[in-house]
Amino acid sequence: MTVSALRTEGLGFVYPEGTRALEGVDLEILQGERVAIIGQNGSGKSTLVRHFNGLLRPTEGSVAVAGTPVGMRHVAELAREVGLAFQNPDRQIFSGRVAREVEFGPRNIGISGQELAACVNDALAAVGLEGRAEANPYDLGFSQRKLLALASVLAMRPPIVVLDEPTTGQDANGIGRVRSIVEMLSSDGRTVVAISHDMRFVAETFARIIVMRAGRVVLDGSPREVFAQEQWPILASTYLEPPLAARIGARMGAGSTPTEAMLVERLLEQGGAMGTGRAG
Amino acid sequence: MTLALRGVRYRYAGAAAAALEGVSLTLEPGHVLGVVGPNGAGKSTLCLVAAGLAPATIGGELAGEVRIDGVTTASSRPHELAQRCGILFQNPTTQLSGTSATVWEEVAFGPRNLGLPLEEVVARVDAALDALTIRPLADRDPERLSGGQAQLVALAGVLALRPAYLVLDEPTSQLDPQGTRLVGTAIGELARQTGAGVLVVEHKTDLLATIAEQVAVLVAGSVVASDEAASILADARLEAWGIESPSRIRIERAARRAGVHLVSEVEA
Amino acid sequence: MQPSDPAASAASAGPPGVPAFVQRPPEGAYRRLNPTTKLVIAVVEALTAFVLRGWTGLVIVLALVVVTAAVARIGRAMLPFMLATIPLIASILLVNTFLYPGATDAIVRIGPLTPSWSGLEFATQAALRVVAFALSVAVFGLTTRPDDLVSDLERRGLGRRVGFVISATLRTVPRILQRAGEITEAQRARGMDTEGGIWRRVRGVLPLAGPLIFGALTDVEEQAMALEARAFSAPARRTVLRTFPDSPAQRTLRWALLATLLLVVGLSVSGRLEFLP
Repeated sequence: MTVSALRTEGLGFVYPEGTRALEGVDLEILQGERVAIIGQNGSGKSTLVRHFNGLLRPTEGSVAVAGTPVGMRHVAELAREVGLAFQNPDRQIFSGRVAREVEFGPRNIGISGQELAACVNDALAAVGLEGRAEANPYDLGFSQRKLLALASVLAMRPPIVVLDEPTTGQDANGIGRVRSIVEMLSSDGRTVVAISHDMRFVAETFARIIVMRAGRVVLDGSPREVFAQEQWPILASTYLEPPLAARIGARMGAGSTPTEAMLVERLLEQGGAMGTGRAG
Repeated sequence: MTLALRGVRYRYAGAAAAALEGVSLTLEPGHVLGVVGPNGAGKSTLCLVAAGLAPATIGGELAGEVRIDGVTTASSRPHELAQRCGILFQNPTTQLSGTSATVWEEVAFGPRNLGLPLEEVVARVDAALDALTIRPLADRDPERLSGGQAQLVALAGVLALRPAYLVLDEPTSQLDPQGTRLVGTAIGELARQTGAGVLVVEHKTDLLATIAEQVAVLVAGSVVASDEAASILADARLEAWGIESPSRIRIERAARRAGVHLVSEVEA
Repeated sequence: MQPSDPAASAASAGPPGVPAFVQRPPEGAYRRLNPTTKLVIAVVEALTAFVLRGWTGLVIVLALVVVTAAVARIGRAMLPFMLATIPLIASILLVNTFLYPGATDAIVRIGPLTPSWSGLEFATQAALRVVAFALSVAVFGLTTRPDDLVSDLERRGLGRRVGFVISATLRTVPRILQRAGEITEAQRARGMDTEGGIWRRVRGVLPLAGPLIFGALTDVEEQAMALEARAFSAPARRTVLRTFPDSPAQRTLRWALLATLLLVVGLSVSGRLEFLP
């Protein structure tokens, strides 16, 4: 599949008060890809993704969604194609009923009746809240409210889903749930882009990782490529550390093994119980 | 001399069920006690109860005892509690007073409230800034700091009250990896240098593995396990309780299952 | 940056050990006046402008205000304050010139409209009062930092809670605006239209107001806890960190100004000032 989902050309952005947040960003994300964007706070990750649904307009360069330039299309219109789920659910939840909250998005884009009910139910099921449709969102815990906020975006059935720090503040169950949602969206042919600080979550869930520093893309590749030892100086320059599995793998001469599964696999290939000693 | 919870049961004002049930924990000076558990287990409630904010400031019903160096929190006023046990929340911005033009004044907020003599205020502020190595930030505007820096300033503000105990509720949750490292290292050093007893609630078990001596597991309002950190963090039941084991433990387990041996020391 | 340099602290004449950047004495003679002095000057000037009737008093007050502004050297920064008064002044001039009750000295007759000289005179006086008021507020606002004023008032006995509310409110506004921005973004990303016609935008009140209010309330609770945890409700008087120069001369000036204000108000109310044109 080589249909373009998101493309930026020479994208630059300067905030009104003069801070430059993005510079010369050239990216292409194809439909169906699973991409994580990592980097220090202030590296431009959030600024970048806000260009995908028109919340921000480029100062320089251009942005295209599904091959069509974004231009001055309204955010409300782009929301049909790019769903953006934010970090803090309490900055958007306003309804006293879970189902009503989830309906907000699809209603705004003109979905009603039977189709609306289906969108809402599917979204709630995807995040594991199908039994709580009549509950008050504030009777749910924080983890579930975060999933609720995600459901409210999923209910709009956008072909491109962008998640801003979906695992921050989540416990193990929550992270697992987010992982299954990403997998479900992916197997559905949808494009998933996520910003995250959790290196292990990123290495294990995404096929492509984009590293940002000071408004630029400094690395772009598979987890194996990005977390390979040669790239560690670049990661260090933006205060990131590769996952432990990668560090152990490098230490044991097993090559680039950003996930525990890859590490174990490589060690087995290298001859099972080889490692009483330290290799290289 | 400890911070001790004995058979604590706590119910928020207006709530139907208790948020904590039969909780007993002891925090020793100079030690770091980690607390883990799924969201909703009552970890934040535990922090409020340990620091005495519940019930003193937010009401609610407390049964059992919370004693800080022998004195029950129920019989202490909020400003007395503030001098015995400091608390740090998840969100850096809500706990900065919002009234200080510089970091120095922000850290001075607590000691000033106590009406301490000026030399004492100055000494405490300088000591707190030095303990966290944030002297260079002294003249900055607190509203313009990064998340990690803001958390350190908030922590310095708490330290300036010289409490014997500290309760930290997910202090790195809103921070990027660098901020997490900054705060994590500072916490680790704190107990050693100042002899304070520190209770840290964290999801990041990797972090706890490096700084905590003991770890307690809180699930559905009760402590289901409490022991040395190494032992709890290697417990096979963590995932079932909704807690992610540290990376190192998971990798070692996966390696063992596959019959592969790992190098013994790799920096965590 | 070495903050607690004793020499620098001594030079700024603040309490010992407190860094210079905390003392931060302002530049300029007027700005270095005690904050309470500046407050009293502004209040007396602004109120006197409204209490005095007739031209003489008004001209005197206006002259004083202009002199104060010149001494304070606020320069072009006063423009936003003055520009803000234009709509008000324009409406005062129009309404009073054309609709002054019982006026018989018409300037000109334009059909049904009869602007009168009495109306114009009254309108001009009213407009000048507004100018005097705005200028004295501008002088105060531009020469006095809010935390300086609050610090000084606290030293004089203002309760810490009132002082906190004033300081925190000023700093809270940017925070609330930022939060409102975040909420709007999240709702727009869910299809709420803020770029279309008015009628589509009106539907968005609850999704914007709801999280804002709720968030503000939960924040307030957290902030209250954080304050208690930093001994905010301790009974002692807060330690004074920053001192502001004061002098017998300034003290005398303050009392003299307040006495003058009382005198003027008293005379004006009892009608004794009618002799002034």
